[in-house]
Amino acid sequence: MNHFARYVRGPLILIALLVAARYMFPNKMTFLFEVSTFGIYIIANDILYGYMGMVSFGQPFYLGIGAYAAAIYLAHIGHNIFIAISLAILAGLVTGLILGPVYIRLRGDYYALINAATCAMGLFMVEKVMLPITRGDDGLWYRARMHATPFLNLKMPGDVFWFTMIVLLIVMIFYTWLDRSTLGAAFRGMKASESKMKFLGYDTFKLRWLGYTMMCVLAALAGSLYAINYGFVNPSITEPARAAEVLVATLLGGPGSVYGPFFGTLAFLGIKDFVSNIMTRWELAVGILTIIVCFYFEGGVWGTIQTIGSKIRGRFGKKGDAAASEAAQPPKS
Amino acid sequence: MFELYVSAVIFGLCISGILFLVSIGISIGFGLMRIINMEQMVYYTFGAYFTFALVSSTGSFLLGVICGTLVAAGAGYLVETQLLRRVYGKELMFTMVVTFSVFMIGIGLVQYGFGLASKPVGMPFRVLIPILGAQVPLYRVMVFAISMAVYVLIYLLLNKTIVGKAIRAGIENPEQVQGLGINIRRIFTITFVVASGLAGFGGALNAPLVGVTPYMGFEMLLFAFITVILGGLGSIKGTLVSALIMGQVMSVGGTIYGPLAFVGPFMVMFVVILFRPTGLYGVKGRAFGFEE
Repeated sequence: MNHFARYVRGPLILIALLVAARYMFPNKMTFLFEVSTFGIYIIANDILYGYMGMVSFGQPFYLGIGAYAAAIYLAHIGHNIFIAISLAILAGLVTGLILGPVYIRLRGDYYALINAATCAMGLFMVEKVMLPITRGDDGLWYRARMHATPFLNLKMPGDVFWFTMIVLLIVMIFYTWLDRSTLGAAFRGMKASESKMKFLGYDTFKLRWLGYTMMCVLAALAGSLYAINYGFVNPSITEPARAAEVLVATLLGGPGSVYGPFFGTLAFLGIKDFVSNIMTRWELAVGILTIIVCFYFEGGVWGTIQTIGSKIRGRFGKKGDAAASEAAQPPKS
Repeated sequence: MFELYVSAVIFGLCISGILFLVSIGISIGFGLMRIINMEQMVYYTFGAYFTFALVSSTGSFLLGVICGTLVAAGAGYLVETQLLRRVYGKELMFTMVVTFSVFMIGIGLVQYGFGLASKPVGMPFRVLIPILGAQVPLYRVMVFAISMAVYVLIYLLLNKTIVGKAIRAGIENPEQVQGLGINIRRIFTITFVVASGLAGFGGALNAPLVGVTPYMGFEMLLFAFITVILGGLGSIKGTLVSALIMGQVMSVGGTIYGPLAFVGPFMVMFVVILFRPTGLYGVKGRAFGFEE
């Protein structure tokens, strides 16, 4: 039990904070939903980038797969929301399993750019090729076709928020487990040196494939949550231009740490929200901030919080604790 | 029908010219400085916007092009000396994110200065010339001719001057060049300023052909990357050849089936990355995605 509690404590505190924020700022619920969903999406990217060291410029494609899988089911075939989410996860899984062996042979920038190409082609598919199914730029509207579900009525945004909290909790527990498991260590080892991992007897191809598929599934899950909350999907969800947001948010939070993706999302969306209230365009502020974070806070938001935390604890005399948290810091990238 | 394809080919050559000018900076950035230059498109956007500003205030297109090129080169100098020097030698993802942030700042500045709306830039001349029975705007032919002239100039610079030889040696092995007593940092700056000036020049020439908008760099960024990948790392000749191919894919492909103008280049990139990752003129092992 104690073993299990190690993985659950942190995510539970996080969810509790989100729920508290939902009651403290009732008019910010959409923002909190956005943070949670985008957080899952960033976690997916962080498995890829922070753990395995693979950069992708085409993340919106994987988000779009989940969103469109759920949307096509709801708009044309059925009415059950849970089946839509399961289908989205299945679509992510199938995508990961099929595209994985082709893509993960590529390294570094090739991988990044073939994803950008995939993303552009995905946009083309939903905009032009699958026009009768996806209705092109008009998007799919299906809120009226969604049937109410028992316990949590997922037709209502308020209940979707609670559902998202549950999903985020599960994803965070999984992610915490990944961080501390042998698998996570193997991913990190691959990032540091693939040839040494091979020498140690790990099948790096299968490991990469596994990580890539995890990324696909989580991104598709985030996409289906978007689809269900907003009740419509249009091709702008898979636009290649939005791939940058993902990288910036990942880097802002501190790649390769458990809470990094979440805090990165919070910081990124918070700044976007805050800045767009003042000066309507957010690019300038986000650009300057990213450069500052890149040069002066190498561990990102979460890394900085950890450093400050360990300093404070060090000041109050708990030397052993401070050293432990120092050691637990994510490897600087 | 035949005339349609003739004019499509000419339009494609014009696109190739712009693509070539814009992607030199990215190609050299990989080859010489080992960074991913996402912010080259800032200079492209700046070039286009300052051309717009001067054309609308003085009416002289030539003055606009000169001003756009100079402003872009100046911006390149500023970014290289103040920021990118701290980035050299770090991992590629880091350079990617930093330069992309510069790109976002550039877009933000342009929006701040010029607003969001698309700006029209008048064609400097509207003469149509007949080629094989098709009426083609002279300006597009001239853009292609100018970019070819730029290629010849770059070729001469790289092969006939000491600076050019140092640049070529730097692409092969920067440490060795420094060991010979050549200040590689100064070589970097010179190359970067020239490359950003050329990107600005490309933007200035492209301004009358497309609407000048703050986001004009985004699409161009992807196409320029594809051009560089297809051509091979650090190879000017490869960049030229791939720009020529890419222009035809976009223009002729777009004439045959509309959406191909946007997706065609990505399909080309897809095939190239999967089957020939080093590009047309890249050296094996020193490819775009080099991993040391």
